[in-house]
Amino acid sequence: MNVALEILVYGAVQSGVYAMLALGFSLIFGVAGVVNLAHTAFYMAGAYLIYTCVSLLGMGLPAALVCSVIVVGLCGLAVQRFAIRPLIESEYSVMMITVAIAFLVQEAVTVIFGPADRNVKGFIDQKLEVFGVVDIDSQRMLTLGVATVLIVALWFFINKTKQGKAVLAVAQDREGALFVGIDPWKIYLRVMFISAVLAGIAGAFIAPTLGARPHMWEHPLVKCFAIVILGGLGSIEGTILAAIILGFCEVVVSFLISSYLGELVALIMILGVLMVKPAGLMGRGAVR
Amino acid sequence: MRRVPKEVLAFVIICGVMAPVPLVVESHYVINLIILCNIYAVFLASWDLLTGYTGQISFGHALFIGGGAYTAGLLNFYLKFPPLVTIPSGALIAAILGLALGIPSLRLRGPYLALATFSASAIPSVLVSTLWKYTGGEDGLYGIAPISFNVVNRYYLSLALMGVCCGIMSALARSSYGLVLQAIREDETAAMASGVDTRAYKLKTFVLSGFFAGLAGAFYCHNQMHVGTEELSLSLSILVVLMSVVGGIGTIIGPMFGGYLLILLNEGLRFIEDFRLVIYSGAVVIILLFLPRGLLPSVLELMRRTRGLVIKSPSPKVEAVRDSASGVDEPEAQRGLSCEPK
Repeated sequence: MNVALEILVYGAVQSGVYAMLALGFSLIFGVAGVVNLAHTAFYMAGAYLIYTCVSLLGMGLPAALVCSVIVVGLCGLAVQRFAIRPLIESEYSVMMITVAIAFLVQEAVTVIFGPADRNVKGFIDQKLEVFGVVDIDSQRMLTLGVATVLIVALWFFINKTKQGKAVLAVAQDREGALFVGIDPWKIYLRVMFISAVLAGIAGAFIAPTLGARPHMWEHPLVKCFAIVILGGLGSIEGTILAAIILGFCEVVVSFLISSYLGELVALIMILGVLMVKPAGLMGRGAVR
Repeated sequence: MRRVPKEVLAFVIICGVMAPVPLVVESHYVINLIILCNIYAVFLASWDLLTGYTGQISFGHALFIGGGAYTAGLLNFYLKFPPLVTIPSGALIAAILGLALGIPSLRLRGPYLALATFSASAIPSVLVSTLWKYTGGEDGLYGIAPISFNVVNRYYLSLALMGVCCGIMSALARSSYGLVLQAIREDETAAMASGVDTRAYKLKTFVLSGFFAGLAGAFYCHNQMHVGTEELSLSLSILVVLMSVVGGIGTIIGPMFGGYLLILLNEGLRFIEDFRLVIYSGAVVIILLFLPRGLLPSVLELMRRTRGLVIKSPSPKVEAVRDSASGVDEPEAQRGLSCEPK
């Protein structure tokens, strides 16, 4: 019984982080057709920025968060405007330049902070007891809360506001949107900003639990792939559902079998879905 | 007299130029570096055959390289098989991996294929960490038998490996087989409509690419006398992609050029130690943005334009490079005929 409750709580936290990360990746693909392999580099940047602000510069937590998130968002804008836009016609070139950027960020971070793990002080330090039996640090619960709020906010933004409808319009038909006076380039920038900010926040909130290190972008990128492939690239609901499935599967496997095999879940999921149903749960066709 | 194909000639000339290097250069360090370049050249050429020519984008080439390296390493470490046996077995296993990855990949295109290769290549590295008792985990296995203790012998073996493998791939790319691969890259539907069994061609290319990458990977393992997770790592896959893109994909010789250039540049920048990888990846980003076709095709284009003005008598190596590149251009010109848009 205890184990079941633990799986429930840790699975929910894991799913929340994954959803936050994968939504941005899925969104920019769905809207702009950009496979942004630098996506988790934003996540890493978020983690290192919060470390810099809190541990090195001694800023207060709210100021540090705002600073980190704004800087990550600006990086996202710069990447979209100066690296992706000139090459956007070729999806291969976009993948290559974004992977080069991710590599660049990794090396820059290694130079500045060194290859070792950097630990970030938790935002709140006490332990919590959920359901009376599950011990969990409150940092994780906070992350889950933030993820839930942001996901709901994003869903609301996309589906209910005029701006969000413009995003959907560009995703459906770029030329059509252009005809009714929506500038797709502006929308791409906006979506990239949202996507980078989501990744940056995920990185900032995960840093106290996992620490920050130069290779931290690799595994989450594979997780993002797994989620958007399972959920269907470019589908918000599918992405959230897939994040929950992956989060819980991983936690179940790690708890009951071995934490090494937990890492394999995502990979096997990717290959399985690609072989059986390449369009994902709710996606558009992968096989054109 | 039958004309010798330009590719074969080019590789004979390149090997001819590189052969006397150990006679001139004393430093073992430099020779070892060129051995590394030679091995990378095979990695890059095999990647280019799959991605540059056929358009089957692979972000997981480390799967083949590491597959070959670990096969050779484990066979040598546990069963004490000599390199003469382990290197071909490594290539064979990598070719099988190519088939195993190729079959599910037949249905996938574009970003989905990239994501699939990316993920597939992560599986063995997780397995290696999980089975650390047998594979040595992150540290890998030390004490693999070297191919030869003499560095000059190893140099000539690596040169032979590079010359033969890249020569074969280059000749393949130039042949009618390579032409079909380019047709698949440009428009697979049109290629099918012309009666090409694109599935068979794609599978063959996966197997060939895996074979050569595995061969070089196994050679690499014996050359380093060590096999470790870095040969399976995502970083290696990415490095292969970046080097090829810098050199100029779809030309076989371009990625090889990119490999030599970036490995030597990487060492040349050693005096600024910490910053070299930043400068290196920054340079890659800039080249991607401003010379999207890659360095070698751009340089050749520039030389063709200024020929007669600046370069009066090109050196044999330059001639060789240009010959092979113009050889690659010819099928490009024919492509429009064989493969009209749908």
